[in-house]
Amino acid sequence: MADCLSLASRHIKEQIIFSPDGRNFQVEYASKAVENAGTSVGIKCKDGIVLAVEKILTSKLHVKENYERSLTIDRHIGVVWSGLIPDGRHLVNRGRDEAQSYKSLYKDPITVPGLVDRLGYYVQNYTCYNSVRPFGINAIIGGKDASGFHLYMIEPSGTYWGYRAIAAGKGRQIAKSELEKLDFDDLDVETGLIEAAKIIHLAHEDNKDRDYETDLLVCDASGYFHKPSAEQLAKVYEALDNLSEGDSDDNEMEE
Amino acid sequence: MNHDPFSWGRPSDETYGSYNNAIANAGNVSAFPKMNTQQPIITGTSVIAIKCKDGIIMAADNLGSYGSLARFDDIERLVEVGVNTVVGMSGDISDLQQVQRMLEQLEIDQSYEEETSALRAEHVHEYLSRVFYNRRSKMNPLWNACVVAGLSDDKPILRYVDLLGVTYESACVATGFGGHLAIPLLRQKCDFEAEYADISLDEAEKLVKECMKVLYYRDARALDKYSLCRIDNNAEKKVTITKDVRCEDMKWEFAQHIKGYGTQVV
Amino acid sequence: MNGISVDINHLKKGEVNLGTSIMAVTFADGVILGADSRTTTGSYIANRVTDKLTQVNENIWCCRSGSAADTQAVADIVKYHLEMYTAQQGEQPTTKIAASLFQELCYNNKDALTAGIICAGYDKRSGGSVYSIPIGGSIHKQEYAIAGSGSTYIYGYCNKNFRPNMSKDETIDFMKKSLAQAIKWDGSSGGVIRMVILTKSGMERLVFYPHNYVDSE
Repeated sequence: MADCLSLASRHIKEQIIFSPDGRNFQVEYASKAVENAGTSVGIKCKDGIVLAVEKILTSKLHVKENYERSLTIDRHIGVVWSGLIPDGRHLVNRGRDEAQSYKSLYKDPITVPGLVDRLGYYVQNYTCYNSVRPFGINAIIGGKDASGFHLYMIEPSGTYWGYRAIAAGKGRQIAKSELEKLDFDDLDVETGLIEAAKIIHLAHEDNKDRDYETDLLVCDASGYFHKPSAEQLAKVYEALDNLSEGDSDDNEMEE
Repeated sequence: MNHDPFSWGRPSDETYGSYNNAIANAGNVSAFPKMNTQQPIITGTSVIAIKCKDGIIMAADNLGSYGSLARFDDIERLVEVGVNTVVGMSGDISDLQQVQRMLEQLEIDQSYEEETSALRAEHVHEYLSRVFYNRRSKMNPLWNACVVAGLSDDKPILRYVDLLGVTYESACVATGFGGHLAIPLLRQKCDFEAEYADISLDEAEKLVKECMKVLYYRDARALDKYSLCRIDNNAEKKVTITKDVRCEDMKWEFAQHIKGYGTQVV
Repeated sequence: MNGISVDINHLKKGEVNLGTSIMAVTFADGVILGADSRTTTGSYIANRVTDKLTQVNENIWCCRSGSAADTQAVADIVKYHLEMYTAQQGEQPTTKIAASLFQELCYNNKDALTAGIICAGYDKRSGGSVYSIPIGGSIHKQEYAIAGSGSTYIYGYCNKNFRPNMSKDETIDFMKKSLAQAIKWDGSSGGVIRMVILTKSGMERLVFYPHNYVDSE
């Protein structure tokens, strides 16, 4: 190792070496992978959670509506993410295991902060060893437990924060400025869904040359995550039609 | 002196007798397989069910017995799984609760893959039969007998599985005392498989209620309060469970005419 | 049996048992746990002033019946788990979680344990609650629970005299009368009546001596 890499530049390739100014470059590169990926959005409404993700179709040959980008952990937690798709699926799998192990001991669904805390530790572990690379995702995790609705985002470093609303991926700047216009104390799930779909549409401007679908996931008073109902979807379509009037770009929505 | 390395450092057998490996579970000599065939503690009695043209009627009472002590009178033994399956369980209540938790996890794991309506009665039954057979093969059975009822492609499915892993399918299924008392009554209406198509849901419900009454008359571990499940293929919500149903129209008045046990007349 | 091995069955026979009368009752402001104070080995009273009411967390307690060794071990393990829960989750566990831990331990080790436990507590989310975990390891949420050898004598009395949402004094009186009857008819129960009252304002302990609870009949 010392032969092919000078001591001074090892921090670029190896996770366990800090750069001279105290940074872990591998984690920062992972964040770069997220920054160029499809946009995802999470909103904590007054009566529920809305999650949305822009699924970029990288080829005209793809079969549409064929894979999931919005997944659930137990029944009361939903996840969308921007970044490497398999990394997100792996994290969700780990989350499902954690939820099951918590439930087998306490006979109660895992709390949302409890799950995010465990996943945060898990993600952090991948920044400590040379033999692994960090997660190339920002995972937006929403859920309901006995203390109410929660929304978090976990970053490649393992850091997580709680949010009223959050966006990740290529269109995050547009998305965040749109989210900041919303009044969360007054926003219900029905309008939250429409806003989320609109924001994904707007955020797609940055990626206009490629086709996309939108995955939506919603958690209402029942506390369970599910795809939007037919009525909810109809309203979303209507809002998007108004938005794109005169705009030749046709949106592919997936329920 | 025993020169076997396994005996080094051990007290000599001549003085103390052979070493008891059961002490602190020590030793790599397994004299006998681990035995943990338990016994049921808090128990629930019969579950009864009958197939009919548009669905299934199933019932199980609310008693949790501790020996002959009527320990709990609010035990729910009909468990909904997914959107069109109900499992009725008799036997040990702690194992029933464990099976209930396993079925809930099955439902959650299933929801990760596809719609919950895809989990159907025959899948639930197959799953339970594997669980029960595995446990009995480990000499550690789950002490229950289950009736799995549900709809599959609009057809009623009614199957049985028990602590030994035994399974069968029939138009009339009952566990425990129900097998002796309810089955003959149910078979008066439905003697062979194809006959179930001639029975309406309302007819079946009346019949099952009658059976629950007979069971209350003759099963010393039964209660007159039970849950009744109606699986109706024509209803919007296919499965409905009515709780706290009471045995009605019981006949006791004839007791006043019974005097002594033979020749006595007063 | 030879010189070095230990006859487990003989030991089991001599085991210290809480052949007991225990109960826990929800009331308007929370929950009250109650127990007699007799511990026996066979017909010898090993301890006449036992404390069968055991704290497992801030405002969650349990009543123990069955083998003293088994129930103490189980209570200690549950106490450990609840400390871990508090540290990890950053909040106090609910009574339901504590009861579930008892259930998990009693169910998974049913072949080895003789433990009949009532878990009761007060938490902000559900107020006072009572869970019964009889031998075998099933779990039953109840408005009030009775257990132990003495309880069999008072099923009828408790069923007739319990009312939901009683006042504190009414509840204490109900429990005192119930346990007095259990102690009177059950040879394995006796001594003083201990109570622990759990409400939003914390816990309070009470002791009633034979000469004053016998009068309360």
